[in-house]
Amino acid sequence: MKKIILIPLVLIALNVQVALAQCNSEEISNGCVPTLTQNGFNFLKSYKIDGETDLTKVEYSYVFTKGTQYMVTICDQNAANSTIMVTIFDSQRNVVATNKIKGSLLSGIVYPCNATGIYYLQYTFEGSSNRCGGSALGFKK
Amino acid sequence: MKTVLIVLSLALLVACTPKNTIDDFELQSSLDSIKNKQAIVNEEVVNSILEQIPSPLEISVLLKESGVDYNSRVINSPSNISRYHSTYQKALNLGIYGADLGYTNIYGQNAEGIRYLTSIKTLANDLNIGQFFDLRTISKLALSSNSLDSLLLITTQNFNAINAHLQQQNRSNLSVLLLTGGWIEAMEIMCDAAAQNLGNRELVERIGEQKIILEQLTLLLSFYRDDAEMASLYEDLAQLKTIFDGIQITYTYVESSIEIVNGVAVIKDNSTTTISITDKDVLDIKNKINSVRNKIVS
Repeated sequence: MKKIILIPLVLIALNVQVALAQCNSEEISNGCVPTLTQNGFNFLKSYKIDGETDLTKVEYSYVFTKGTQYMVTICDQNAANSTIMVTIFDSQRNVVATNKIKGSLLSGIVYPCNATGIYYLQYTFEGSSNRCGGSALGFKK
Repeated sequence: MKTVLIVLSLALLVACTPKNTIDDFELQSSLDSIKNKQAIVNEEVVNSILEQIPSPLEISVLLKESGVDYNSRVINSPSNISRYHSTYQKALNLGIYGADLGYTNIYGQNAEGIRYLTSIKTLANDLNIGQFFDLRTISKLALSSNSLDSLLLITTQNFNAINAHLQQQNRSNLSVLLLTGGWIEAMEIMCDAAAQNLGNRELVERIGEQKIILEQLTLLLSFYRDDAEMASLYEDLAQLKTIFDGIQITYTYVESSIEIVNGVAVIKDNSTTTISITDKDVLDIKNKINSVRNKIVS
């Protein structure tokens, strides 16, 4: 009798646990926006970085314009020890920017674009099981 | 006891089911008078192209920074809203008014901006996406002289939320129209400014570079050519594309250099693009854009 009542309760508890463990990348990416505006950049896009479904990379694209500065901010769910690496590729898949410098992952990239074209923002995870975060893109002249 | 277990399990199942009611679905469907060709349009492909399209705000900032004066005559009057009856017209002109709102905001024409906001809210309501515009909050920001950053942020977030919502609901055709309308309006404003000052090479080059975006937009519209209105818009932009075909963009990749400033990677981009565009190209583009736009706003 007790066992039968316990089963649904356990199911509910598990459901709550899964919900808590879920990656709220939308909220995290929104939290990444103030850094843009504090640095004088106009907000353009926020990007969800949710690699919990075994994704090894998350990729977005945007047309960057010559003469415009772009800033990409990165926010990890684990703010104290970020493991999110962003690499920006041009349309020919050449690397033009990264936040990984001398082994350290920085929280942002400022990219003064000198060549208009489609660019790819690729987010990967550096040896972490915690694959959850957000990012924001802004611009200024 | 078995019954208790079944009832509890069912309750759990119901609690976990997304709250997308049949009524909501029917309402969406009835609003979409444009036939959504789900069978042939790959929403994922469409969405990945849509996300690339730059914000019209970038062009407004460029114009202001280039010293170009604000010109209220070049943008679409908010009072023209009474002319837009179909979903197609409403979606395109919502994009146009969105670009106009950004333009008025960047130039600090806040009173003018509120008129646009009202028209935007009306069109958004008609398209069942009005919930993304809190007119009261935005109007308050627009009336405050030192809230430009917040105003730009909230309006950009609203339009992003609309696009995300439409894409989630498989109504990307409306997103395509919204973004196309915004691009056409930004082009109208930029071409008007460039035609009056062909010596401003930065402006002229920015027009030439729109070839990249036009290619994406025509590709997007090509997916919806089974719809008569979207096919007609596709044809118009395909004709515009033939003018852009004469413009050459040459890209040279050179590895970037990086330094760290205040904990952020600051890149020195050593790659370049050169644009080959004549004054005649600019004037031809301006005339074609003007004719396409007039069909939309009239």
